[in-house]
Amino acid sequence: MWVYQCEDSLEGIFTGIYNAYEEKREPEDTMLSLEQELYLFADYQTVKPDGEKAVKVMRTIKRRFGEEDYMRICLTLSAPAPEKAQAVYRTVALGLSQKGTVFGHLFDNLANDYVHLAFSLARGAGNENCHLRGFVRFQELEGGVLYSKIAPKNNILTFLMPHFADRFPMENFMIYDEGRSLFGVHPAGHQWYLLGGSEVPEEAMQLKLSDNEQQYQELFHYFCHKIAIKERENYMLQRNMLPLRFREYMVEFN
Amino acid sequence: MEFLATGQEMTLMDKLGILTDAAKYDVACTSSGVERQGNGRTMGNCVASGICHSFSSDGRCISLLKILMTNECIYDCKYCLNRCSNDVPRATFTPEEICTLTMEFYRRNYIEGLFLSSGILQSPTFTMEMIYRTIWLLRNKYRFNGYIHVKAIPGADAELVRRIGFLVDRMSVNLELPTAEGLKALAPNKHRKNILTPMRQIQNGIHANKEELVVYRNAPKFVAGGQSTQMIIGATNESDYQILNVAEGLYRKFELKRVFYSAFVKVNEDKALPSLPGGPPLLREHRLYQADWLLRFYGFKAEELLDEKRPFFNVMLDPKEDWAVRHLEQFPVEINRASYETLLRVPGVGVKSAMRIVAARRNTNLTFADLKKIGVVLKRAVFFVTCNGRMMYPVKLEEDYIVRNLTNTKERIQFGSDGMTYRQMSLFDTGSFLREPSQAERVTAVMGQL
Repeated sequence: MWVYQCEDSLEGIFTGIYNAYEEKREPEDTMLSLEQELYLFADYQTVKPDGEKAVKVMRTIKRRFGEEDYMRICLTLSAPAPEKAQAVYRTVALGLSQKGTVFGHLFDNLANDYVHLAFSLARGAGNENCHLRGFVRFQELEGGVLYSKIAPKNNILTFLMPHFADRFPMENFMIYDEGRSLFGVHPAGHQWYLLGGSEVPEEAMQLKLSDNEQQYQELFHYFCHKIAIKERENYMLQRNMLPLRFREYMVEFN
Repeated sequence: MEFLATGQEMTLMDKLGILTDAAKYDVACTSSGVERQGNGRTMGNCVASGICHSFSSDGRCISLLKILMTNECIYDCKYCLNRCSNDVPRATFTPEEICTLTMEFYRRNYIEGLFLSSGILQSPTFTMEMIYRTIWLLRNKYRFNGYIHVKAIPGADAELVRRIGFLVDRMSVNLELPTAEGLKALAPNKHRKNILTPMRQIQNGIHANKEELVVYRNAPKFVAGGQSTQMIIGATNESDYQILNVAEGLYRKFELKRVFYSAFVKVNEDKALPSLPGGPPLLREHRLYQADWLLRFYGFKAEELLDEKRPFFNVMLDPKEDWAVRHLEQFPVEINRASYETLLRVPGVGVKSAMRIVAARRNTNLTFADLKKIGVVLKRAVFFVTCNGRMMYPVKLEEDYIVRNLTNTKERIQFGSDGMTYRQMSLFDTGSFLREPSQAERVTAVMGQL
């Protein structure tokens, strides 16, 4: 068995897939791994992420399977599971080996274990993305910048930013992923970009709120309180719909 | 004018409190139905599936800034907290206050947009003009490009309804009660004709607009998100069968996007209103929503679910299971061969599961383990399906046996945080538990003859 050790990033895993195809490996006999685990009777090769190879794989996937399935693959790869690389590799291999139209139908064959795993990781990440689109809360800082903190399980900042960039094209806003020390930054009227947390100096982390920020937070808190019908109180349903882990950063629950 | 004077003394927070509290019984608050990208210059976009921004303590989604323009009202509807004979604090927003609140909440991602309804001030047309002024300001001066849902006031001038339709994403008119008799009993100022006329006008406007859009793609859109309406359940004594027929008629004749059902909450003491000792009829509302989904997405007709002889829903089984148990001659269904429409009728198989089954079986023959992976609720489906000719467990296709198993393995239905559950029913219960005991029955109970 041949094992490729990839780095946990989109470029790393796509490069691993490229290498597996370049060296004409049998998919059943090949594995893409993110961990340092050792297997009996296996040969190892470390994969160095290569931008060009990753772009070639991306183009092939988009051409053969379509934009929507490509997005699903990216969602799978944003999950924190170590088996995601192998799941994506075997799904892509299965799709490429099918001669007929598999465009838009990459994840149809849910009876296959790897396809199912990739599908459910993508679904989980997609659901968290949809949740966060509603649960992100911005605070206005002194300079008029909107600032927000999130702590998602999946690495979905790249999926959140385009939604808000489309919604607030003329606002300066920032979303901070606390678990990964990652900033998504959007200057008004310009393209958004990502910033690693280590590149941000310490004094920039002291944030002061603008003058009427407190007033709007209180107004919204009061609004959420008043809108509930007491006779229909159902805290269990509320917890099912809005899990507790999101509430830390939401202004109406603090 | 009197209402302006009080407007000066109250703070924005007080007004928001009063007018949110007054609007909370209107459940038609979704932000779905319109997909609109941002225009690159002003704030706002819309997502077709709608976004839930928060959930209140009653478990319902908070997606829009749901407020009344004013809770002053000249009408005296018996079920309403704001009726003119009630002594409650009254408030009115100015258009600028509404616009500022909407924009500032939207910037902070608290809401998807605005939901504006109103009590009737002076006359329906006067109220509708106030609403028009607010929405016009919001779209043209504040340049808000997000979601707006407006309630049309029955009896207002048709020209106002037409103009507002070009500014908003969804417009709705509340039916309030399912039948004209109910409406006359509880809301004597509202007439059925006045409610149906704007619904027809909006429907025709949407049609005409669709044809304009075919000719010129950038024509302004009229009520792009469609229409909806709302009915109060449990305030009058219509049966579930009658309510479901009304809903089906509305979908067919007015092409509504959604019908909403609101369980009656007793806020006023009035002899025309039922006393409802068990609280609002939440299970009934839940069954109605389940039946509504069956009508819209599963190809059912109202007469298949209920009829004259059984006018109320089953308490222990949901409408789909109930239909399946009464039509056992159509089962078992072979998963690998049945059509999509047949698969939809199996309890435990939803729209997504049915689509995935149809897609997955092109590549392989499916087994029960595959069905579980796909997401079918096997707890319910095992009694009704075969995979490659075999059932998962030996099952007698007999009504008693299946109902006993379905209701045993089902989790207890919990409605309300006090964890109230329902006792095991026999097959001979009709399900009409909401019938009030008659005077004669009360007497015999006291005398010990029951």
